[in-house]
Amino acid sequence: MVVRRNVIRYSLAVDEKKRSNLKTIASESYMKSETLFLKNAQTFAEAMVRCGVRYHFAYPITPATEVMKHTSVILPQYGGRMVQMESELAVANALAGCACTGTLGATSTSGPGMSLMQETISYMAGGELPCIMLDAMRVGPGDGDIVGAQSNYFQATRGGGHGDYRVIVLAPASGQEIVDIMPEAVKLAYTYRTPVLFVIDGVTCTMTESANFPEPHDYASEFDTSSWAFTGTGDHPKRYLLTGSYTHSQGEELNNHLLAKYERIKEEEQRWEEIQVDDADVVLVAFGIHGRMGQDLVSNMRADGKKVGLIRPISLWPFPDKAFEKLPESVKSMLVVEMNHGQMLDDVRLAVNGRLPVHFLGKTGGDMPLCTLAEMTAKINTLL
Amino acid sequence: MQELAKIYGETLLLDKKFSYCPGCGHGIVTRLVAEAIEAFGIRKRTVSVVGIGCGGFSHHYMEIDAIEAMHGRAPAVAVGYKIAKPENIVYTYQGDGDCSAIGLAELLHTANRGIPVTCFMINNNLFGMTGGQMSPATLEGQVTSTTPKGRDVHQHGYPLRVPEMMADMRGAKYVAREAVYDAKSIRKAASSVRKALDCQMKGLGFSFVEFIVPCPTGLRLSVSDSYKWNKEKMVEYFKPQVFKNEMEQNDEN
Amino acid sequence: MRTNCTFSGSGGQGSALLAKLICQGAMKQGLQVVMTQTYGIEQRGGDSTGYVVVSDSRIGNPLVENDADVSVALSPTIYEGCLDGSAVGGLVLANSSLITETREREGVKQVLIPASDIAVELGSVKCANIVMLGAVLEATKVLEFATVEEVLRDLMGAKKPALLEMNLKALEKGRALYLSAAE
Ligand SMILES: Cc1ncc(C[n+]2csc(CCOP(=O)(O)OP(=O)(O)O)c2C)c(N)n1
Ligand code: SF4
Ligand SMILES: [Mg+2]
Repeated sequence: MVVRRNVIRYSLAVDEKKRSNLKTIASESYMKSETLFLKNAQTFAEAMVRCGVRYHFAYPITPATEVMKHTSVILPQYGGRMVQMESELAVANALAGCACTGTLGATSTSGPGMSLMQETISYMAGGELPCIMLDAMRVGPGDGDIVGAQSNYFQATRGGGHGDYRVIVLAPASGQEIVDIMPEAVKLAYTYRTPVLFVIDGVTCTMTESANFPEPHDYASEFDTSSWAFTGTGDHPKRYLLTGSYTHSQGEELNNHLLAKYERIKEEEQRWEEIQVDDADVVLVAFGIHGRMGQDLVSNMRADGKKVGLIRPISLWPFPDKAFEKLPESVKSMLVVEMNHGQMLDDVRLAVNGRLPVHFLGKTGGDMPLCTLAEMTAKINTLL
Repeated sequence: MQELAKIYGETLLLDKKFSYCPGCGHGIVTRLVAEAIEAFGIRKRTVSVVGIGCGGFSHHYMEIDAIEAMHGRAPAVAVGYKIAKPENIVYTYQGDGDCSAIGLAELLHTANRGIPVTCFMINNNLFGMTGGQMSPATLEGQVTSTTPKGRDVHQHGYPLRVPEMMADMRGAKYVAREAVYDAKSIRKAASSVRKALDCQMKGLGFSFVEFIVPCPTGLRLSVSDSYKWNKEKMVEYFKPQVFKNEMEQNDEN
Repeated sequence: MRTNCTFSGSGGQGSALLAKLICQGAMKQGLQVVMTQTYGIEQRGGDSTGYVVVSDSRIGNPLVENDADVSVALSPTIYEGCLDGSAVGGLVLANSSLITETREREGVKQVLIPASDIAVELGSVKCANIVMLGAVLEATKVLEFATVEEVLRDLMGAKKPALLEMNLKALEKGRALYLSAAE
């Protein structure tokens, strides 16, 4: 007797058809600019999908889970898919596999997941695979606490993975900035063939705010990946992603190639916002949420006649050294404020290279896991 | 060379010298995989995701695109690839250490997920590349460089049977274990390679084949003794068989 | 112009909805808004607070740091927090149906609104938050009254006309109560 089992066919033909149908639906209902009121994690999801991300691989972890909840709803409307994997190890590697086809994929996670992905981030940097990643930072170390933090600055910018590699690290400070910078992120990922990692503190990720979305535009598909994607030898001679079978000379060659690329990125891709540094006595340096609070701090203190300026790094790697190169004579000291115990502080100290005293104010964890504007103001008053 | 290419086609790169040790079982399996790709005419749309280990070199002998994955993660890479490019044929080529030690979670979840990718596990029952250490598949009492007194199951657990775990998973549609110690077993193995790839080409689901092969270097045996040992010892514990074949049933529907 | 708002209540009183309605209205008027929920004041059992910043220009500090221009206290357990979290020169609107003990704080104006009682009269205690919303609009002029009516219509208009009717009445009643109470 033959046992009949109902085998569900994973029918590629049908899948393809469905995809194109869905694309038309998506283009009708989504092809407009609009203002949305979303949690910033959802804004991240909307922004990346509207810029061309079609596959989102993820594993639940607070506060990043909002992103995958959102993409699981919207991606099918764009002909894409949110794929929940069995671990962050699997997530990162599926993302790498997706990138190998030349397709733009993304992931979102938080501290512990980020740590598990480090090996693969090093792998993708070495294999020059573009992708978008989000670290919705929460308090560490260990499994940590779900409350927001900026404690993964070191991990993001130094790399928790092995080898001489870098990834581009972006730190938008608001929902609007997430939207505004996403097209840039996609361009950076493809232009330099590199992972682009967003680091956003969990407080910012979970707050809800208005953001203006321009018309969706698939930036990813504008990049020609045919010169490198591993799509089969149908249109090119054999290609392979080399990671485990290097010769010594290939290892050196790859590293030299990466070095030259990183130097180019350092030269061309530094991003920061600067407010009234020209005649400042004290300059506040802060990224993410503390950076946006700094915008108010400067205007409030200036209104009281206090000469305070702000440098808000937007790219954390490359770190905006250039912002510190030509600080005016008037600047007597700098204050770094972070939701951690002093991580970007190191980069600021390297950038000023001993020319000025660099002070620090930081906090991590607790019911109120960040410094208030009042605390920041009080600290600056002691420096004036 | 010209003559050989006529027989073997374009997939196998016959002018490339194997860097496998003489008598290594990887050589046989690599050839079987290349022949199946050639026979199906899918070379141009086939991508190999190789694990870390001696099998990581397998793609160097084939004219196909390849991705070298991190240790143990090839199945997850294959899943991501297949999702983004379902029209291509993706298979992983992994050792027993890669598949069943560091990468067991990805392997089992890939099997269970049922996305049509194929995983080949080349079981030489030890870590070949790093110099013959114990792997999950090392037999009870077997001496390796990290079990100088033989594998003690009370300390290290029991030799792990992988396809047995998969057989129950509904996402897996073809699951088999094969050996390569003589002409007959190799013919069977060749048939399983074709079935596994066919299962993927038909979009039915996950397919898996384990190959029991010798690593003469790691076993510290002569080539012929290593094949003898395979036939007598390994196959007794790791019995070659087709655990699951849900391809035919489907064809009748 | 920036307005900091705090909306507090116990579970089921709809303080979060109150915050969201303000946000929706602000967006209709082309203003920028940020809403935060879980930082600052300790979250006691069942109490919840929504903080909203409304502004006509880029919002720097997204937090309301004990500098609320207007606070709504729907239940007694969060009353103290609202009073302490008010800016000097700020306004606290307290639900006097439930908050029976109040205290003075220098520089903070307080207006008592019997929101729950009014809501019951209108048909459901659940619309106490909307009564408060009417009062907030009248007190701060942060949004146009008509905008919020429109938001309510969008939210429940088509499906629940009776509910909409009640809420529109609650909104109007809150406005009137504020006017007479503030005199
Ligand atoms: C994360 C990680 N751990 C360890 C290694 C070192 N390593 C390289 S190959 C290998 C074992 C390979 O054994 P197996 O998968 O059985 O392949 P074989 O060489 O026997 O074919 C190990 C442990 C590595 N490359 N990466
Ligand atoms: S060490 Fe073993 S597995 Fe590796 S090539 Fe040599 S014989 Fe083959
Ligand atoms: Mg092995």
